[in-house]
Amino acid sequence: MNRMRQNKIDEWLVTSPSLIWLLVFFLVPTIIVFIIAFKPADPYGGFGTGWTLDNFRAFENTNFPLMLWRTIWLSLVTTMICIFLSVPTAYQLTRISPRWRKLLLLMIVIPFWTSFLVRIFAWKTILHPEGLIKKILVFLNLASPETSLLYSSGAVLLVMVYTFLPFSILPIYAAAEKFDFRLLEAARDLGARSLQAFFRIFIPNISRGILTAVLMVFIPALGSYVIPDIIGGPDSEMLGNKIAQRTFVDRNLPQASWLSAVLILALLIPMILNLYLRSRRLGKHSLLKEGR
Amino acid sequence: MEEFLKFDHVSKRFGKIQAVKEVSLSIKKGEFFSLLGPSGCGKTTLLRILAGFEHPDQGRVFLDGQDITDLPPNQRKVNTVFQNYALFPHLTVWHNIAFGLQVAHRPKKEINEEVQRMLELIQMESQADYKPHQISGGQKQRVAIARALINKPRVLLLDEPLAALDLKLRQRLLMELDLIHDEVGLTFLYVTHDQGEAMSISDHIAVMNQGTIEQLGSPVEIYEAPCSSFVAAFIGDTNFFEGKVKDIINQDYSRIEIEDFSDVVCFNDKQLTPGHPVYLSIRPEKFRISRQPPEMQHNLNVVPARVEEVIYLGSHTKYWVRVNGYRLEINQQHSRFFLDEKPILWEEEIWISWMADDGFMLDRYSEVDENLIPAPPEEMGEDLNGKPGNDTGKQNQLQRNQPGGSNQ
Amino acid sequence: MRRSRFPMLMTMGVLIFFYLPILMLVIYSFNASRFGGQWMGFTFAWYEQLLHHYEIWSSLEKTLIIALTATAVSIVMGTLAAFALHQYKGWLQNVHFALVYAPLVVPEVLMGMSLLLFFVSIGMKLGLFTIFLAHVMFCISYVTMVVLSRLQDFDFGLIEAAQDLGASRWEATRRVLLPLLMPGIAAGGLLAFTLSIDDFVISFFVAGPGSTTLPIRIYSMIKHGSPTLINALSTILLLVTFVLVWLSQRLTEERHR
Repeated sequence: MNRMRQNKIDEWLVTSPSLIWLLVFFLVPTIIVFIIAFKPADPYGGFGTGWTLDNFRAFENTNFPLMLWRTIWLSLVTTMICIFLSVPTAYQLTRISPRWRKLLLLMIVIPFWTSFLVRIFAWKTILHPEGLIKKILVFLNLASPETSLLYSSGAVLLVMVYTFLPFSILPIYAAAEKFDFRLLEAARDLGARSLQAFFRIFIPNISRGILTAVLMVFIPALGSYVIPDIIGGPDSEMLGNKIAQRTFVDRNLPQASWLSAVLILALLIPMILNLYLRSRRLGKHSLLKEGR
Repeated sequence: MEEFLKFDHVSKRFGKIQAVKEVSLSIKKGEFFSLLGPSGCGKTTLLRILAGFEHPDQGRVFLDGQDITDLPPNQRKVNTVFQNYALFPHLTVWHNIAFGLQVAHRPKKEINEEVQRMLELIQMESQADYKPHQISGGQKQRVAIARALINKPRVLLLDEPLAALDLKLRQRLLMELDLIHDEVGLTFLYVTHDQGEAMSISDHIAVMNQGTIEQLGSPVEIYEAPCSSFVAAFIGDTNFFEGKVKDIINQDYSRIEIEDFSDVVCFNDKQLTPGHPVYLSIRPEKFRISRQPPEMQHNLNVVPARVEEVIYLGSHTKYWVRVNGYRLEINQQHSRFFLDEKPILWEEEIWISWMADDGFMLDRYSEVDENLIPAPPEEMGEDLNGKPGNDTGKQNQLQRNQPGGSNQ
Repeated sequence: MRRSRFPMLMTMGVLIFFYLPILMLVIYSFNASRFGGQWMGFTFAWYEQLLHHYEIWSSLEKTLIIALTATAVSIVMGTLAAFALHQYKGWLQNVHFALVYAPLVVPEVLMGMSLLLFFVSIGMKLGLFTIFLAHVMFCISYVTMVVLSRLQDFDFGLIEAAQDLGASRWEATRRVLLPLLMPGIAAGGLLAFTLSIDDFVISFFVAGPGSTTLPIRIYSMIKHGSPTLINALSTILLLVTFVLVWLSQRLTEERHR
């Protein structure tokens, strides 16, 4: 049928620009990561010919497993803290009047619009040994003049939570907004206490939002580079800045590539889970919401 | 009047569902024609085929002699008033109305004049610069009508245009539509599921069910002479009976034998012979209900009954009465009210009567159609027509009894 | 009914948490002391120094060029992609969607790393152009998602109405769809622009010598430079951001009038 063929041609025409661009600049590079991971390093910082497992062996006896574990662990804890802080906040947001709500949402989102580096630098300043917070803590006798707030896993965790909190609040708020609060009234009418109603009715009904928040925090957190780089010290090294170190300091692309491959693999599980849940929620044949 | 708009054996399917099955239909120029039926009956699909948004799998559509089946919507001289108005939110009322003429690249002067004329027609000159979100539902509907009419289409299609409005506004706008139709003289094709709307302003109605036309006729024909149980039950209420011709009384009347009911005298318009199965439809308002048996007349059917439900509605009262296994609906108009007259109440033994001419023979009958008539339940858990949620074998309004008689 | 105060306290706490560092930054930028531990007097000195810092302005220029061009290209491609994803269904669009969606969830380190390897493999010289290519790549995803969500909420009955009144598909798109979609496209563009201006990690990986964008400059200043200059610069950037956000809010509100 002529109409159907024309339709197919139209579809390819409209889809091609973005499709090709993303294939070339996203998919192909990702595949190349896996390829280079098995190539030997070249003294000029590039890679030589042939294949090798040297990159794999280079990490066998180091503290690589520890670093990997720390990356996963810090990301997990960040995620959990973010969720814990987001749920009451999102709940509160839905309880206040629309006028205030708009303002508060804006206030939560604005830091997201400011420069990422600026915010991290701000923390670096605050946590600086001669900075304000340290002075306060020393004053309150909670810390000695020698302790460094910076360059520790704790500091990294703090700044990670700071950075990813908006990504966690927004999806949970979106889910909470759709929640029918009369359900809570009904629960209380039937005798439930506030806290019971909260956990039995509210939380399960926003579980999708919570899941989205988990994925929106955990996956980028795994790949953190700048935060551990600026705020963290040698013993709070994460996979992200290890990759950067191999690339820029050691000029060893294949090893960096290998590390990247590990990160990709570590990410695959939550990502595939996400796509699967999306497709299950939205119908079998499409990953998108039905438009028409 | 000649055939102006014609559907010729039009069929359309969506996936597994046959939305329209071989529909053929002719509409005369200038008439107000309605497609009436429940949701899913295919009326909207038929409308969209005419407008050009769907292409029929089979069949052709003719407008004023021209085959328009393959024309895209923007090349047909047909305009639609949509159910949710579909006004362009980014344009003012003025620009919404002017849209069709602007797209046709008409000269500015003509556009200005025409839009002004339309604004006067719908009495919204002072709201010309308003945006759709600033006007009320009724006003939006008028703008939608003006927007369509300004293009002087050969047919104006209206797709359930009043569905989104509340009752009083609906009645009001319906009358306005009628006025506009008379003034403008166009052919209107009106799609609705509301029988009241269709009956009150249409010249002709096509009653549709599951993709086909059950009956086509004037409102009176459809109401008084339904040809199928669907039409009888969808429009207004009725009582159904199934029986056999027992004998012929004279050339016009015959006696019908109905199981578990008395014999009934009926107008024999189909000239059926004895032994032939018959389905009868008798509308509730054709019955008379009284405490004393009425005077016997020839061609008057009289049956004793017991009142089961009474619903007082002010201008009339609905009764559900029981005759053996049958539960009949009866409407009594209160044209005169006597304070000291005792109203007929539950459990009373009364007499019902009706003229033989008032029973109408149906061409087609299906038990399913009885579900279209709402009746008070006899028990909690019964579905709409008395069929039980669990099987305790309860009776329904028209009951072909279980052998052995009623089992309450 | 006794309402728990906890959610309100939490919300307030979160807000304070968000704004504390920003506030401190602004205050320190006026502080004559180098480390902000002590207040040594109010001064504009750092701002003055900033004005004379040639490299910062040249970085800003590079950043803006890339942001503007990348936004322009990604708006066009992203809108097209959104149309395709909305209009068509099937395996092609599923693949398409996966490719559009993935950059949104993949950490920047990975994207930067893979692009670096890619450019090195094909022998392309690193520089502003490679940054541009990389930025378009992730901007497409954001623009597409924003425009797509607007399309999904769009009432296509309006297009039918336009056609019913005589407009061809193209005219209906031009007169009805695009005007109503424009706020969504603008929002996507604004998002892309912001992300491009602010991007550090990916730019850092694919930048060549001499193609330091502003974030890259800031990074090296953080690592090796004077904190006071960064304070002043940060405050200016914050101010610009606030103004932009306020502007975009006014714009979206006006359309609803």
